[in-house]
Amino acid sequence: MHISADMLFWVQQKRWLLIALTVGTALYFLVPAPQSLSENGYHILIIILMTLILILKEPIPLPAIAIQLIFWQVIIGGSTANEVGGYFMNDAVFFIMGSLMLAVAIVSQGLDKRLALGIIRFTGNKTWRIVAGFTAISAILSSFVGPHMVTAMMLPVALTLIRYTAKKGKSNSGLIAALLFSIAYGATVGSIGTPSGGGRNVIMMNYWAEFGSGSLSYIQWIKMVYPMVLIEIPITTFIILKTFPPELHSLDTAVRRLSVEVAHAGRMSAKELFSLLLFGGVLYGWIVMSEIYGLGSIALIGVFLFLAFGLVSWKDLSRGVNWGVILLFGATISIGVQMKNTGGAAWLADGSVHLLQSVIPNIDALRAVVSVALSGVLSNLLSSSATVAVVGPVVLNLGGDPILLGLASVISSAFGYFTAVAAPACTIIYSSGLVKAPDFLRAGWKMAIMSIISLALLSLVWWPLFR
Amino acid sequence: MTKKKPLIDPKSLKFLTAVSSAEYSKPTLKMGALIASVFDASLGVVYVGERASEFHGSAVNLTRTNLDNWNIIHPGLEVLEWALDELKKLSPENKELAKIQFNPDHVYEEDGRVRVILPEEKGCRIELVLREGELVDQMRKEIQLESYDLAIIGGSQNKRHLAHSLIQYLPSSIFVLQKLNPRKKYKLLLLVDDSAATRKSVEWGALIAEKLGWPVRTLTVSKTIRFGAGYQGAADKAKAYFDSRGIEVEQFFLTGDPVRTFVEFAGDNHFVIMGASTLNPIKQLLFGSKPIKTLEQSDAPILIVR
Repeated sequence: MHISADMLFWVQQKRWLLIALTVGTALYFLVPAPQSLSENGYHILIIILMTLILILKEPIPLPAIAIQLIFWQVIIGGSTANEVGGYFMNDAVFFIMGSLMLAVAIVSQGLDKRLALGIIRFTGNKTWRIVAGFTAISAILSSFVGPHMVTAMMLPVALTLIRYTAKKGKSNSGLIAALLFSIAYGATVGSIGTPSGGGRNVIMMNYWAEFGSGSLSYIQWIKMVYPMVLIEIPITTFIILKTFPPELHSLDTAVRRLSVEVAHAGRMSAKELFSLLLFGGVLYGWIVMSEIYGLGSIALIGVFLFLAFGLVSWKDLSRGVNWGVILLFGATISIGVQMKNTGGAAWLADGSVHLLQSVIPNIDALRAVVSVALSGVLSNLLSSSATVAVVGPVVLNLGGDPILLGLASVISSAFGYFTAVAAPACTIIYSSGLVKAPDFLRAGWKMAIMSIISLALLSLVWWPLFR
Repeated sequence: MTKKKPLIDPKSLKFLTAVSSAEYSKPTLKMGALIASVFDASLGVVYVGERASEFHGSAVNLTRTNLDNWNIIHPGLEVLEWALDELKKLSPENKELAKIQFNPDHVYEEDGRVRVILPEEKGCRIELVLREGELVDQMRKEIQLESYDLAIIGGSQNKRHLAHSLIQYLPSSIFVLQKLNPRKKYKLLLLVDDSAATRKSVEWGALIAEKLGWPVRTLTVSKTIRFGAGYQGAADKAKAYFDSRGIEVEQFFLTGDPVRTFVEFAGDNHFVIMGASTLNPIKQLLFGSKPIKTLEQSDAPILIVR
């Protein structure tokens, strides 16, 4: 057979797809299912392994990864198409879809210029205060509205300051990194604070409900987790300023020029005010009504109102939302449920416990370590939401208190500080081209240690007061 | 050979060069501009940035849309702005080019690329393109989309692996600059054998010789003492083609390992032109090819004709 360079190039580009398929085929045909695991459970784990390889290396588009998850479940996973479809759309997927749309709707109103003005008035001109302000504002806003919206609104503010401080032939790499990481790490640290802070939080809530593991209200979540956000904000600022010492101690000129630029926005228009009120209503709904209606439904009510009042066009919404991601979350959650139903999750959980029991004899500590390690490591390779979607069912099968283990898993999935892929905020600042991959490592290990210590304190000192 | 339709049209040549940053790409861009001006070719400059994980595609797109609202340019466009400035500096005599201002708002997104719209009616023959993804894949797509004749790449020692991939997979001819010295007068060394690419190599050789006035040598290497009819015929046809264009040519026939002979003969005072390998691509990948091995062992600038 004649093999052209085009064919070889295709093979080279798609090698991870071929590897995933080869591994899956070999496991399916050549390796029998373990005795303690059902045939279908084994097949579901094979599908998950193939999917992890595909998500990690992205040899095919994300929607294609989602699609293969669907048909493999039907062909080799022992599920019917209706079963897979039944788990495909749920409140977590509605929430992810709704919050992505709300982000587009809010950002398109131009409210970030007012936000910039507010931050500057609050922080003044000193660089360390600006970095602290960026971290705090990003964390607090992100805890309610999610990191992607916050980073999209904050990045232009930081880049404008960077532009106004730039001088030819003079490097401001410390200042640039400090400003950008204060947004990314601030938003990431904050995203655990409330259920609406990230898709992974809602995915875990969905698993709790689906598996009958109990539930947490919006307020209960805040009470249990928010102290960690508040502790981490000043420490994050300190780590950033120590890791990336800014070259300038004051940003007088840049702040003045930014103030002039954003002042051109004029007084707040009725449309902007109405958008704010609408979003405030969504937030209120999340806090007081999410137990009844679900976070996703309330987010969709917000999207409906933004569309109905003409504050955003459907064209803008559909263009700004990556539908492939929504498809993938639907598919990932459906296989997560199948992993639980077929016994695959329990088998993995038992295996992890048995493997590490000789190292960590205390079963509660062991469960916590497995939960945190699995989520923390995987989130640096995949995204945090995908991590929770895959790891969630395993963690909830470890035994012990599923709410506490679930919370630990969700929180540690936010520890994706080492790479640009884990958190949307990190990806966004990386895509600006102004920070490099090694910068994430330089600050990431300090952030990880700080976060692990904070989580340990939270679970040992704070959570016992509630459970 | 002279009766056949030419394989390259010297009046509509299109060259492509990739840049990464002001720090690393200045020499490549400089040489690309110089070579394009010598051949009166249009020059495409492509910057291939890293693509964000598709997982966070919505967030990245949302941020970029918002950056537009703040008049902050798309990341990567600043590299193209730098490239345009450099091209202006390199051609101070080009008054039309000097008038062109980089406008980050004048961009057009199509086919997974961002193209900076430059006023072609003013005689600008430069194309500035931003792509995101893997370098070889994106350069392949750009070459296929715009039908470039030649890709100009740097070929520094630490990027040899990349150069191999580019040689193997790019669908155009490739010029690996290596240690090309623009002030030096090279001798053209054309490697002639019975492969299909030799005819096009000869046309390139003639074009370069005419443009630069460099003396031409052809080298045919046989592993055995006997030179087959194919090799002899190819050498004769090459000479006939040069003769028809009024270009003097010296012919050399040597015996030995082809790559070692090319490299020893070329030294550092030849500009090597050779055809792309016709070996099965898998064999090329596993065992290398003559162009790849020559590139590995030689410091001479090499034009690999496809």
